[in-house]
Amino acid sequence: MELLAQTLVNGLVLGAGYAVVAVGLTLIFGIVGIANFAHGAYFAMGAYASYLLTSHGVNYFAALPISVLIVAAIGLVSEVVIIRPSLYGSSHHGSLIVTFALGQAAIAALILLLGPDPFPVPTPLGQRTIRVFGLFVTEHRAFVLACSVLVLAAFGAWLKFSVKGQQIIAVAQNPRGALYAGINVPWIRTLSFVLGVAAAGLAGALLAPISTVYPTMGSSALIVGFTVVILGGMGSIAGAMLGAILMGIANALFETYVSVSWTPALGWILVIVTLLVRPQGLLGRAELHRH
Amino acid sequence: MLSPPDKPPIVAADGIVKRYGGVTALNGVSLEVQDGEVFGIIGPNGAGKSTLFDILCGITPPTGGRVQIMGRDIAGLPPHKIARAGVARTFQRTAVFAESTVMENLLFGRHMSFRHGVIGRMIGSRQYHGDQAAFAARAQEVLALIGLEHDGGRKAGVLAYGVQRRLAVGIALMADPKVLFLDEPAAGMNGRETADFIALVRAIAPGRSVLIVEHDMTVIRELCGRALVVVDGKPVVIGEPDHVLRHPEVVSAYLGADDDE
Amino acid sequence: MTSPGRDVTGARTSGRTFREVLYCVATVAAIALLGYSSSDAYVLTLAGYTCAFALFALSINVILGGIGEVPLGQCLFFGIGSYSAAIGMKHGLPFEVASLVAIVASLVAAAVIGAITLRLTGAYFSIVSWGLTGVAMVAATNLDQITGGPLGLFGFPPITIGPLQLSDPRIYFFASAVILLAAILVLVAVRRSPFGAAMESIRQNRHLARSLGVDVTGIRLKAFVLSAPFAAIAGCLCVPYSQIVTPEVFNVGNTVDGLLMVLLGGSQLIVGPIIGAVIFTLIPQVLDLDPNVRILVFSAIIILIMVFAPGGLYQLANAVYGRWGKESGAESSR
Repeated sequence: MELLAQTLVNGLVLGAGYAVVAVGLTLIFGIVGIANFAHGAYFAMGAYASYLLTSHGVNYFAALPISVLIVAAIGLVSEVVIIRPSLYGSSHHGSLIVTFALGQAAIAALILLLGPDPFPVPTPLGQRTIRVFGLFVTEHRAFVLACSVLVLAAFGAWLKFSVKGQQIIAVAQNPRGALYAGINVPWIRTLSFVLGVAAAGLAGALLAPISTVYPTMGSSALIVGFTVVILGGMGSIAGAMLGAILMGIANALFETYVSVSWTPALGWILVIVTLLVRPQGLLGRAELHRH
Repeated sequence: MLSPPDKPPIVAADGIVKRYGGVTALNGVSLEVQDGEVFGIIGPNGAGKSTLFDILCGITPPTGGRVQIMGRDIAGLPPHKIARAGVARTFQRTAVFAESTVMENLLFGRHMSFRHGVIGRMIGSRQYHGDQAAFAARAQEVLALIGLEHDGGRKAGVLAYGVQRRLAVGIALMADPKVLFLDEPAAGMNGRETADFIALVRAIAPGRSVLIVEHDMTVIRELCGRALVVVDGKPVVIGEPDHVLRHPEVVSAYLGADDDE
Repeated sequence: MTSPGRDVTGARTSGRTFREVLYCVATVAAIALLGYSSSDAYVLTLAGYTCAFALFALSINVILGGIGEVPLGQCLFFGIGSYSAAIGMKHGLPFEVASLVAIVASLVAAAVIGAITLRLTGAYFSIVSWGLTGVAMVAATNLDQITGGPLGLFGFPPITIGPLQLSDPRIYFFASAVILLAAILVLVAVRRSPFGAAMESIRQNRHLARSLGVDVTGIRLKAFVLSAPFAAIAGCLCVPYSQIVTPEVFNVGNTVDGLLMVLLGGSQLIVGPIIGAVIFTLIPQVLDLDPNVRILVFSAIIILIMVFAPGGLYQLANAVYGRWGKESGAESSR
């Protein structure tokens, strides 16, 4: 029983990290309308930024927000310079290929600049475990969980109550209508993209001390991100969170009770099954619009 | 001219209901189109006429009610089978194959009737030549009808908007359909283009039945023998355009809406 | 009426037939020239490998340029080809027979997978497609009884096709080149047929095509099934080159390389992917790049292509040689 509870808790922590990545991904999908195959690269960038900062003496807690800002800046540049020109006017599969290439290029650049070896990122929270409801969680993992929940809650509140947030929701539901209502749709798209990848960067920086920093960490994040987003429903933020929790728990349970070596396939199988059985995911909307 | 009343209607809809989630887009619409009619469907924006149109030509399934075309129930029939039964339609947006030439566009419209396959094409079989000859003949007819005899080699994407719409009708005509659905064909056209288009539909209407969804009342008045008005998902009146447009409910529904002249 | 010498779309037939024969002869001549003039084993083997990968790029283009989807999972069939050949040979089958098994396996797999996944389009289809390769890679790693696990299968008996020894670089090159040529001929014929026209109409405008009586679902499935054996044969042909088959054959990076070849050359022409394959293999040879620099450079190239010239070199060539293939459209490029 205790193993089960422990597994569930680990799954929850995993899920929290996934959730931040997935919410960013689904935001981009819902507003910018592209499947961002570079998302994992921004995750890795956040991790690498946190490494570079902490290795130069910056405190981890300070390194976190700075890393997020760095990733946001890179996201801004890439959206304006690369993604926007290739999106508008090109064929529908253009953005898929471009974002994929972007992701590959970013990861290759990281390897060239910093080498392929993994780097550790120290966290002041160390390895101490704390007891929560009789279960053991390392302090840092608890921090990841708390931070994710906080950020997601704050984001949700911002979406609901701020002007820009309302505009984002408007664009998500009806881009053309939003345009006629005077909303600067292209910049909302840029903003959404930047927020989305910044979320990925944050998740990367949060998880860096746990997983260490290595170049291909982005690929796993990307795969998990897509899995969660599809499971929860593309374009639905609540769905992304729900999907993340389910994914995290499913992964933890599968790994503990079934087989470690087949676990990487679990996510893919869930994606495939979801897309075939219920393509709109758990909380997504079914296709309504006329072609 | 209406066909004699004892002939079955070519398009018959009975009690069409359509719900999306909590929204009822259509609530009990029925109509009958006789063989050889040009029939209009009009209504204010958001009234549900586009939805009705999609259901009538078999693209969207209704939540309730039946649609029959040429006596056959089309519910559950995949769209391509409906097309092969002799039904054609044009679309509002993306009406043509923009990357291909005019001739290639017409070819796309015809190829479901081609009988030759890959091997036949390679060896120049008799079926291949037969198909080619039939296509060439039909293409010449259609090009003449839509006024593009000399533009066969032009890319469809660079054509003027009104010309593209004519090409769209041409593509639909290639298979010699018995029933033709035109989806807001005059949208975005100026007066001259609209007049040309009306002449085109008049020229191709004989021997076919045509259903038109339109906002442009000139088109409806000039072309349609009868029209159905849909307001808020419900049918209001069916009859001759002039009669229908004077109906009090229709007038109040359109009050303030543009009436293109 | 059709005028003599022109077909229905207005394109010259006699001129085109002459050009086609010329291209064929030129290609055969080029192959023969390369094959006989060079005695450098490295060059010949690389050329053979390029032909094999070009075949893979062709199979990708059947989907990308054909029906307009991005088949990230095409390396699944490539891997099926490689593993079928390897497992077959390990069980004593000759290479030719193992390759036939590979073709059948890929056809069956494509039929099943296509029937299930082709109802999806766009990014959804691509993601599922990618996911299947992920599953395949995990399966190949874990089912080590059959696949040799992460270390893979190696140590094959000398690989032959009939009397031809593929260990001889020249013969390997000729065999690959001939197979590639045959594939080109088949695909050109398909593209010109009503089936090809149906595919093109789906790629340009799926809904319009459907309303014209095109069985979109059926055609998509047929195209998908058609593409699989080409990828499988490519996978088989890579075995004599690499002499080992590991789960890495299912790596999506292989498909991405293939995609780049297609985009470089242009997806509108059958030969586009082949031109792309040649460039793609040539550049690293000439420049001797670090693998990561190579990825960086090629990714940058992909981005530049997608932003400025989505039609690849073909589009650029047309822009440069203003007259043919553009506005007048009198000579159909297909």
